[in-house]
Amino acid sequence: MKIRESMIGRLSEKEQRTVKIGAVCAAAILVFVISTKWFGHWGQVRKLLAAERSKLETISPDEAKQRGLLSVVPVLEIPQIEEKQKFLFRDKFDEQLKKAGIRSEPLEFLSTGKSQQGGYRLLRLKCSGKCRFGQILDLLASLKENPYLVGIEEMRMKCDTKNRQEIQLDLTVSTFVK
Amino acid sequence: MSNNRTSEVTGPTVIAIAQEENSLRAVCLRKQGGVLQVLWTRSSEAGQTDLGTFAAECGLSAGRTGQIEPGGGTMAVVGFNSAGVTFYRILVPAVKEEEIAQMVKLQIEARLPLPAEQIELAWRAGPVRSGSPSRTGSASAQTSNGAGRVQDGRVAVTIAAARREQISKFVEDVRVFEPAKILLDCEGIVEAWREFFAGDEGSRRDGIVVSIGSRNTQVCLVEFGRLSNAVVIDTGMEDFSAGQWLGSQTETAERFAQDMRSVLELFGYAEPGELPVFVLSDGGSVIEGIASCLESAGLNVRVVVPVPPLYAGVREKTELSADDIYEYRVPIGLGLMALEAGAEELNIFERLYNPAGEKEKKHRLYSPKVAGAIAAVMLVAVVIVSYAVDVASPNAIEKRFRAAASDADMNLLMERQKLIKTIAPRRPDLLQLLNEINVTDAAGIMLDSLDFKKGRPISMSGQAPNAEQLYKFQRALLAKKGITEVKIQNTASVKAGASPSPRGQGGPGGGRIKFTITFHYKNFTR
Repeated sequence: MKIRESMIGRLSEKEQRTVKIGAVCAAAILVFVISTKWFGHWGQVRKLLAAERSKLETISPDEAKQRGLLSVVPVLEIPQIEEKQKFLFRDKFDEQLKKAGIRSEPLEFLSTGKSQQGGYRLLRLKCSGKCRFGQILDLLASLKENPYLVGIEEMRMKCDTKNRQEIQLDLTVSTFVK
Repeated sequence: MSNNRTSEVTGPTVIAIAQEENSLRAVCLRKQGGVLQVLWTRSSEAGQTDLGTFAAECGLSAGRTGQIEPGGGTMAVVGFNSAGVTFYRILVPAVKEEEIAQMVKLQIEARLPLPAEQIELAWRAGPVRSGSPSRTGSASAQTSNGAGRVQDGRVAVTIAAARREQISKFVEDVRVFEPAKILLDCEGIVEAWREFFAGDEGSRRDGIVVSIGSRNTQVCLVEFGRLSNAVVIDTGMEDFSAGQWLGSQTETAERFAQDMRSVLELFGYAEPGELPVFVLSDGGSVIEGIASCLESAGLNVRVVVPVPPLYAGVREKTELSADDIYEYRVPIGLGLMALEAGAEELNIFERLYNPAGEKEKKHRLYSPKVAGAIAAVMLVAVVIVSYAVDVASPNAIEKRFRAAASDADMNLLMERQKLIKTIAPRRPDLLQLLNEINVTDAAGIMLDSLDFKKGRPISMSGQAPNAEQLYKFQRALLAKKGITEVKIQNTASVKAGASPSPRGQGGPGGGRIKFTITFHYKNFTR
């Protein structure tokens, strides 16, 4: 301590000031380097935390929100590969058509696009047939229960000009395939 | 003026000032290693009683006389003449301090002739004195409550009360040098008696202390070594001339003895000889004469002078004589009280006077620098805590995931939830849409077709009986939730009979209007 005091004492006022400023600058550089690394690490930690929170939000969403989602999609099966999924979907849809009393022409798969949504491609299935309005309503009501259905892509209804009770229905529904 | 200065002071010191009749006296005290040192004494000219001037002569000025700090500093204390102070002694149940305060307030309000807002008071609780001296039948208010009576579960409370106006004036007088404390001078007398005059008698700690001044006499009741009551008698040394005294009992002496007996009765001691009466003395013959007069009146009188062992300890440093100790007994007693840490004095100035030292303490605590430093520390603490929480949280969430389900289940759950979230916005509720269209309030509208395809407006074609019904249908559709931008794209008149129409309805000339309407449904058609 005494040695340090005597060394400082030998310096002129200007030199002492220079030493002090140098010390402050060195300390500032040290603090800057350490804090930069520290903040960098913190940033990474926060990114990881955001990912974990998102994961948490995904599996455990808000109750009201989840209730809303389940009212739109009450049943769901994880999509299979195309060869498997398309038959599962067709059979279930055909069953629903029959249940609604709609006599349809053979169901027709439309080509799948290349675009992917959430890692899945969209496969569309078209049906055409004549039916009554009530039957259409029955079919639409039961569609939600199809666990392979994504949604209705297209629907065209046209009344017969001679018999208004009879409606020509063209319906395209979709499913996800791997 | 006398002045007796010693060497420069380095330790914590107290300058005590007291007014005695028509002059002021001051002493500078220091206590080092348990030994009291009187560093100097000073007295004003006779008739000079201005406290501000005298304080300045003693080297005191505003801002210099705060509380004693651990390493040194000077504190000033000043004595208030207790001639204007009334003492009461009551017994109250041994309860909490707040409850005692309430009882004291009620008792005082009932006893004092002035409204409570014109009175300042202080109180001090202590044990009830054993020995049970007899009580006077004609006791005044303060003794009638049983001073000296023993009662289980009760404490004796000494109350000092004075007019606020009088106290305020004194506070204004002393504010110029901001003393750390204002004390009652009778408490200083008791303190000086205990330290310098009591000797072996001090162990008894009970008695009547009589301090005879030049024009009046202060009589203090001491119980358990503390002041319990005090009265000032308007008879002093000037009333006893030496020539008169050397003869037999004079009229003055008899009156003084009678006053003393009355005071003892006031204190609650009916028998004059019950309690020792300590007459403070400088060893002079006048006080000896007064004492013998009191003795012959039946009082248990003891003349006390500064006790040699303590006096010698003081003399080492100051070379003060017994006369000096006697002369400066009041300021010395006040100074001793100030030096005693935690001395429980009767502070009737508490509400009216705050010493400068305490103000400074507050300022320091609330200073911007301190606030800034605290804010900086808090900021750093918040950053560190946030960092620690952020570092710990991902691991904690991961742990909870693992505890809730296996990795495979978790992935399946996440995929399923993700799919639901993807599908829900892609699934139009066409059943609801048809219901909405069906319940619109537009009579005579017949729909021929409906065409829905994602990404383009829904198109409906049909027939309306007339334009008004068509417009009504349009408005009804617009009112439905989720349906927007309803546009009538084209219309054409149909001749009557060309198509079926409800009876009694039809356009101009009996025909109907064929129309096409387009609209958007939520986000599915955009």
